[in-house]
Amino acid sequence: MIATQQAINMFVQETGGWAASQLEACTRCGMCAEACHFYQSSANPEYAPVWKLEILKRAYEQRFTLVGKFKTAIGIDKKITDQDVAHWSELNYYACTVCNKCAMVCPMGIDLGTLLHTVRSGLAAAGMVPEDLETAVMKQVIEGSPLGMTASVWDSRLEWVADEWEVDIPRDVKGADTLVVFTSIEVMKFPTNVAAIAKILNAAGEKWTVSSSAREVVNFGFYEGDQEHEKLFMRRLFDGAKELGVKRIVVTECGHAYDALRFHAPNLLSEANDYEIVHITGVMADLVKSGRIKLQEGFYDNVGTLTLHDACKIQRKGGYIQEPRDILNIIAPKSFKEMTPNQEEAICCGGGGGVIAIKAADPIRYDVFTLKIDQVNKIGANMVTMTCSNCRLQFTDCMDHFKLDWKITGLAQMVADAMVE
Amino acid sequence: MNWNDVLSFARGPLFQAALLIFIAGMLYRLVRVIGLGWSRNHVRPKKSQTKGVVMSYLKGILIWPFVPWVKNTFTKNPIIYLAGGLFHLGLFVILVLGTAHMLVWKSLLGFGWKTLPLPIVDWFAAATIVAMVVLFINRLINPVLKLLTGTAEWLNLLFVFVPMLTGYIMTHHLFFQYEVLFSIHMLSVDFLLIWIPFSRISHFVFYFFSKSIHGQEFAKHGVRA
Repeated sequence: MIATQQAINMFVQETGGWAASQLEACTRCGMCAEACHFYQSSANPEYAPVWKLEILKRAYEQRFTLVGKFKTAIGIDKKITDQDVAHWSELNYYACTVCNKCAMVCPMGIDLGTLLHTVRSGLAAAGMVPEDLETAVMKQVIEGSPLGMTASVWDSRLEWVADEWEVDIPRDVKGADTLVVFTSIEVMKFPTNVAAIAKILNAAGEKWTVSSSAREVVNFGFYEGDQEHEKLFMRRLFDGAKELGVKRIVVTECGHAYDALRFHAPNLLSEANDYEIVHITGVMADLVKSGRIKLQEGFYDNVGTLTLHDACKIQRKGGYIQEPRDILNIIAPKSFKEMTPNQEEAICCGGGGGVIAIKAADPIRYDVFTLKIDQVNKIGANMVTMTCSNCRLQFTDCMDHFKLDWKITGLAQMVADAMVE
Repeated sequence: MNWNDVLSFARGPLFQAALLIFIAGMLYRLVRVIGLGWSRNHVRPKKSQTKGVVMSYLKGILIWPFVPWVKNTFTKNPIIYLAGGLFHLGLFVILVLGTAHMLVWKSLLGFGWKTLPLPIVDWFAAATIVAMVVLFINRLINPVLKLLTGTAEWLNLLFVFVPMLTGYIMTHHLFFQYEVLFSIHMLSVDFLLIWIPFSRISHFVFYFFSKSIHGQEFAKHGVRA
């Protein structure tokens, strides 16, 4: 019961006018269910975004509203129990990627994604984060990375990348303009992305560096919703940035990390606004536009049909909607084809929000991906590119699981390959 | 029992009391929500937030209702989308542009306005009643709505449906004695007014919060609202 009370306290603490007015606005029309890929693929009514919020709504009503207090007193509304907290932990961590598509369809315009993040904060306060996710978080606390990218691993991996692809990766350069922070997913699983981004920035003559202390952009605290962990991991980055005296921080192909640093950090840490925080997609588009890198037109026009998967945190929540399309229209004007729905209405990959890190959520995650398979097959694409390594992880894993043979790639890698030296 | 007495009570003291409870209740809820405090957001917006808010309302009120087929929610469930839209439009037409209701407003506010001819309002009323039936059936069978619907949601529908139906029958002078219908109409309106502050029908006020927040958030993130 103590844990449950901690969850309730966190819900109450996080519910100011901003959240309360939106909870009050909900008419319980259920339209958000139609937007949710977890509901679409499973038809489980409990996966309706509004229902995932139910526990926050109940905590709010029972604490703040007369009707809620009255209903609890006479027994129509039940107090939140340990079982409830455990149940909503599964609903929220297994079957939600916090992709915010529900906010696109809500007739009242409720910003469900942010409220769902608040639900996670309460669940984390109660210690009800799924074990796999919690293990990864603790690994990041202790080793600096959920994927075991310790300082020495990072060191040898970067050395190897620099060697293998013959690319210069400036390290810990004081006075550089730009600090680039990679995800451990890229460093450990998609090293070509690291080489590609280095190649692009070098070609553009960018004064950039990586930092050995601010080496991991992933923020698993953001997945679980624990503010202290969120801040701890963010602070590591800002400390590294301060040490090197950079002006901007470039987040590489990682969705939630960009969301966390660009849209949450300023409200958690005051130093966040000392830096310009941009995503590599925006950097690449700017470099192309200003002519600092040149791309070979139609470089990918012979690959068959190529499509772009919109990442929820980079396109729908990050605003980089036109940028990747501008790039693809140069390097693949003929082979690039859009899926429907796309852009801010796109269907999420199903692996975000920490879902891919939770073994028990695998069946749900694979179910969701069938929606993506339908989308891609409808336009007959054989190559899918994206701007988020977490999506890419989900795609590559699902290639194995569903025995598909699409080519999965990151946009940075495509840009690097299509560059005219 | 004399129906004339009931009627004069329902449209007299009871109506005034209900109106008072409605206004006081809604004010209380507004003040309570606003009083919870608004922390400052330090995120630097990507696009103009004012523009985002304006677009959010324009789209919600003027664009989506007229080009619904661009919305996925419409293509997936057109009947519910139309029923919901028609219900709100009908409600607006009846309550604001219907002559009888305008006269009520006039007695409360002191001024009136031009209204629509009765046959047009009448058609809207009929459509609204049909829309409500559709929404009612949908709430009965849709698995998500089954999960979300409790006593309060059923009462919401009932408390809006009764005034709507009695009003419609009244204007057509059907079935019952006029005074009886008018009395029930007024009594149910009184109940509705008292009920609104305790229910989610109050969303017409909080709509302006959530819709503004929506526009602001999406502009902040650099995405079309």
